[in-house]
Amino acid sequence: MLSNPHFDAGLLRRYDRPGPRYTSYPTAPQFSLDFDEHALREAARLSNGDPIPRLLSIYVHVPFCLSPCFYCACNRIITRDRARAETYLARLYREIDLASTMFDRDREAIQVHFGGGTPNFLSPSQLREVVDTLRRHFHFSTHRDRDLSIELDPRSIGPNEIAELATIGFNRASLGVQDFDAAVQQAVNRVQSVGETLACIEACRRYGLRSVNVDLIYGLPRQTPGGFGGTLDTVIAARPDRLAVYSYAHLPETFKAQRRIDAADLPEPEAKLALLQLAIEKLTAAGYVYIGMDHFALPDDDLAVAQARGSLHRNFMGYTTHADSDLLGIGVSAISHIGATFSQNPRDLPTWQAAIDEGRLPVFRGMHLSDDDCLRADLIQHLMCQGEVPVSALERRYGIDFADYFRDALARLQPLIDDGLVRFEDDRIRATSQGRLLLRNIAMCFDHYLDRPGIPVKFSRAI
Amino acid sequence: MSRPVFPQGNSNVAADDGDSLNFCSTCAFSQACLAQGMNKGDLLQLHVLVEHVGPFHPGDHVFRKGDPFDAIAAVRAGTVKTYLVDRDGHERVLGFHLPGEVIGLDAIDDERYPCNAVALDTVALCRFSFPRMAELAARLPGLQQQLFRLLSRDIGAAMRLAGDWSADQRMAAFLLGLSQRLAMRGFSPRRFQLTMARTDIGNYLRLAPETVSRVLKRFQDEGLVVVDRREVELSDVARLEALAEPVLRV
Repeated sequence: MLSNPHFDAGLLRRYDRPGPRYTSYPTAPQFSLDFDEHALREAARLSNGDPIPRLLSIYVHVPFCLSPCFYCACNRIITRDRARAETYLARLYREIDLASTMFDRDREAIQVHFGGGTPNFLSPSQLREVVDTLRRHFHFSTHRDRDLSIELDPRSIGPNEIAELATIGFNRASLGVQDFDAAVQQAVNRVQSVGETLACIEACRRYGLRSVNVDLIYGLPRQTPGGFGGTLDTVIAARPDRLAVYSYAHLPETFKAQRRIDAADLPEPEAKLALLQLAIEKLTAAGYVYIGMDHFALPDDDLAVAQARGSLHRNFMGYTTHADSDLLGIGVSAISHIGATFSQNPRDLPTWQAAIDEGRLPVFRGMHLSDDDCLRADLIQHLMCQGEVPVSALERRYGIDFADYFRDALARLQPLIDDGLVRFEDDRIRATSQGRLLLRNIAMCFDHYLDRPGIPVKFSRAI
Repeated sequence: MSRPVFPQGNSNVAADDGDSLNFCSTCAFSQACLAQGMNKGDLLQLHVLVEHVGPFHPGDHVFRKGDPFDAIAAVRAGTVKTYLVDRDGHERVLGFHLPGEVIGLDAIDDERYPCNAVALDTVALCRFSFPRMAELAARLPGLQQQLFRLLSRDIGAAMRLAGDWSADQRMAAFLLGLSQRLAMRGFSPRRFQLTMARTDIGNYLRLAPETVSRVLKRFQDEGLVVVDRREVELSDVARLEALAEPVLRV
């Protein structure tokens, strides 16, 4: 069992530097325009040839939102025109049709996730149609672990719609909250009442969804310990199974929506750290287990159980209990991870649509992972999920001498060892309770691509 | 030093790839020739050894059915699949040839290759002029024996699978067969990559591809093997042997 993270403001301040979040390794900036539809088809064909082909995870991106939240860094389109959903879905179905033929029919889908944007921009009957279409084209696993999950905006969905989602088969939901503080909600253009949020959580429970996740964000404009503490108390009282507490990364040059946020309203680094500390203290005191990165879960939740068993995984959709699967991303900007490749659909709607209208799989960029990429991805996955690097297991698996292979990485790791973030323990390198909040800094030591000067990449800061 | 995991050992094989005087470490003929006092230089002088060829890339054909036969080839690196296509266009996999193994032996009769041979991964070959080799074999009884041995092994492998075996028995025999063959060439017998797709395995074992996966998944659940993508680790060789025993006994 991993200990809970230890909050050390001095250390966190020192290590607050930009870095990837490692939902993938290599990270998306390494994807190349040379990777095309043909490369994706070849990757899928090879993956079908595995003696036991991997299970499939399917991600469906719904890009539309009714109004812009100013903190948002996602790919989304603001519109109140619900008719746009229909034209989008027509293409989505063609993409499902095109993509599904790449996979042998006996490959089961174990995880289907709707993200956005706002997936519930689609009506329950539209969502039913999408799920039905997926069911016709893919073999949904009948295993009890099979996830059908969706991100929900409580401002635009009510208990009746949630009842309908449950009948479609949705069994996990993730609700955006961020902060209940009225001043913050105004500053980020997301006014959402406690009442409508709790009604959503309650409905998810009543209609039998297996878990509810709540997303919070710290570091938002006008956020205070008092206001955010109140939000935490309210959320904890509702007892969601999972909680994510994300750090707000203010990158207005990259994310246009964020230009509407007045930088003067943002909490100072000290105050932001205090908000993180508050969240960790309150959540751990309330019995939540720290999973890693931004995520917490109740001890009996599948994620916490999987972590204790060492079977936790992480992909573009976040932490998951499902062993490595091949991930198929459907919809504008969606990312796929098939075999030893990553690929991404066009990030703008017209390009995505044009490809599909020409009967092509809409691949815009991607990459083939080298053996070195695969090794480092495996290492970083272990670090993010188990908080440790299993040195001898990796040596055995990849036929390397760890100390020799990772000489440069270990040199970069030394200051973190000196600072007590990591230590060598038998045949592994383990993040200490101080280091668990700085997993990405530890991972960065092993990131081959960060060595390379001259790659202009903008990442959010660690805290 | 642990043994290389096939086919990752390609670089080792290349490092140990022989030169104008030394045989490759995986050579099917080196022992037979050396036992007769023939080193590689002698073979070169006799124009038996034609050339090192390759690399062939996945999907490249080494020869096709009906091509005139003038050489047999030993695999130096990678895996070669031999197969036939029947009148209805269905492929039938005849065998998988690993480093150190010989392809083209079944062409001796006909002077034309009776099947297709395709590279499954990056393949390097050593070609031997067959007429010259036959002459040499007449002078070197050891080499002749070795040729006969290789030929009968080819036939034996095909015969074994013709029996009325269960899917589990076929799969266990297949894995153990690969393990033993790789071990003979210096690769790890416990861990190796299946360089062939599951459709090829299924075709060779006369099982549906889904059955290949189902059997392996069950083997995995029962602790006989661990499968990760193309890599297989035999975790309980004794139980696999017990399963495969009737097949291997033939």
